[in-house]
Amino acid sequence: MVDLTRAQESPAFPAVARPTVAWGRPKPGFFGLLLLSVTVFYIFLPMIAVFLYGLATTWTNHVTPDGYTLAHWRDSLADGRFRVVLGRSLALAIGTAVLDLLLVTPAVYWQRVRNPRIRPVIEILAAIPFSVPYAVIAFGLLPLSGTYAPSLQGTLWLLLPAHAAVAFSFAYWAIDSSMAASNVVGLSEAARTCGANVATTLTRVILPNIMPGLASGAVLAFGVSFNEVALVQILCGNRFETVPLYTLNLLKSTDADFNSLAVMTGITFAITLVLSVLVVSLNKGRAAAGGTTDAKGAPA
Amino acid sequence: MSHHAQATGSGRYTAAARTLSIGERAKALFVDWSLALPLIVMASLLLIAPALSMVWSSFAGEDGHFTLANWAKTFSSAASQHAMENSLLLAATVATLSTLFGTPLSWMISRMARWSRSFHLGILNVAANFSGIGLGFAYVAALGTYGMVTLAFQNVGLGFTGLPQSSFTGLVLAYCYSNVPLFVLLSLPVMSLLRDEWWEAAQTSAATRWQFWRYIGAPVLMPFILADWLLIFTWSAGMYGLPVALVGEKPGAFRLVTVEMYRSLYGSFFGDHRMPVYAVLLMCLAAVSLLTNRWIMRRGTRWLT
Repeated sequence: MVDLTRAQESPAFPAVARPTVAWGRPKPGFFGLLLLSVTVFYIFLPMIAVFLYGLATTWTNHVTPDGYTLAHWRDSLADGRFRVVLGRSLALAIGTAVLDLLLVTPAVYWQRVRNPRIRPVIEILAAIPFSVPYAVIAFGLLPLSGTYAPSLQGTLWLLLPAHAAVAFSFAYWAIDSSMAASNVVGLSEAARTCGANVATTLTRVILPNIMPGLASGAVLAFGVSFNEVALVQILCGNRFETVPLYTLNLLKSTDADFNSLAVMTGITFAITLVLSVLVVSLNKGRAAAGGTTDAKGAPA
Repeated sequence: MSHHAQATGSGRYTAAARTLSIGERAKALFVDWSLALPLIVMASLLLIAPALSMVWSSFAGEDGHFTLANWAKTFSSAASQHAMENSLLLAATVATLSTLFGTPLSWMISRMARWSRSFHLGILNVAANFSGIGLGFAYVAALGTYGMVTLAFQNVGLGFTGLPQSSFTGLVLAYCYSNVPLFVLLSLPVMSLLRDEWWEAAQTSAATRWQFWRYIGAPVLMPFILADWLLIFTWSAGMYGLPVALVGEKPGAFRLVTVEMYRSLYGSFFGDHRMPVYAVLLMCLAAVSLLTNRWIMRRGTRWLT
């Protein structure tokens, strides 16, 4: 769920009006069409292979499986370990999303209405998970937690904050641009003129206005956590098996069950697809609103 | 907006500061930062502290004293040199291929009609995000020994036995799966900087398409393309899940920095002197790449707005 949003929200490129007449809109040439179709084919091919493996009875030496069955899906979804892993991953991802909203929203609000000096601090923090590999952060946390908080090692109570920390930058960019678009400073002044305190202003005025940003921030944080494997593996290992770690363990085992792997990968893929669609549709509304208020709401 | 808030806010405090006691000033300072404190404290503990701890470990000997031995040992070991060279070579190859394929794709998509653009962007978005362990398996299912493509080739009589997933070519193919789409998504906003009027003006001056790209298109886009190349390079060098899934513990497999770090988990972890050095190298790469990227973005947009 990572980098698309950052590219779209990069302050260097405020939504430029899309040209309606482009080069007299030429059709892509022969090589252009070839490149496009090869790319689309290349993207779809592994997905089709996964899909077919999830439905195959056996698959020996033909291009397509020998027969089709829904048994793998039924068996996998009935399997205890499979369900635990899936439920655990979903819960962890939801927890990450909620924690990020709780941490990021007040901070961004305060930075906009009270103290602009908060911004550079958060931006530096946000740049770390954006550029430093999660594996490096995980390997750094391992000895640290061993020295200062050994009781947290290998537990959810270290993994959840770690996921929230690496995912927060994506929630931050989404919420920040949403606050810019809905003119939170003006709204806060109006609310305070009417006698509302900070808590009332936040819950009754600001939050309803930045809902699309909150939703898209939550979706992004969810996606980071759900697909993340480095922190899970390094901090918890098999004590806390999530979907990616389960897939990895299955893939590494000598008698890898391709069909069951295909079901899990199919589910991962479906979740990725749903999250992508959500982000795109949430961003569409905001981009339209952001176009008119960007200049006003942009940080000084 | 925030300008206004800043002016009234700080104005009030500086005017009042003369009469406020130290305690009151400390309280005002605390209130100024209060709602952001939980986030700042947590992110510092979980992002900055681990980075510092890796830097410290890379310079700490077994007795806990400062030493350069870890660095010296890492750079003099043939295996580590190999891993570092391979990681850089793989990242450079993937970034270059992503640029070569991604730039024309991005250009085409930026000039598409709305629905067609959304369709292609949707596909690329999913591919860019489908990059971890799942992709590792999907890759094996398509190109492995029993993969769909392998079987298809065998059916038409070609003796193709699957691409070795832990080879350089195999890794490049798998890395490109998410990185080419990522490059397109990164470079797409830049494509709108090339104005259609410029092409019309060039045409009016009897310029050829090649001349337009040579003297207008390439100079305008080049800094941004380089900046995106650098990001893809950095991210590829630091990719963890995919290479661990594809290479893992296989003996004699392609050595990569991140895979070596993974192996240190199962080896003598605390005795391993190389892992922190690798981590610090990846952090330095990230820092240099990010600063260069921001610098290029600032310079590149300065005269275009």
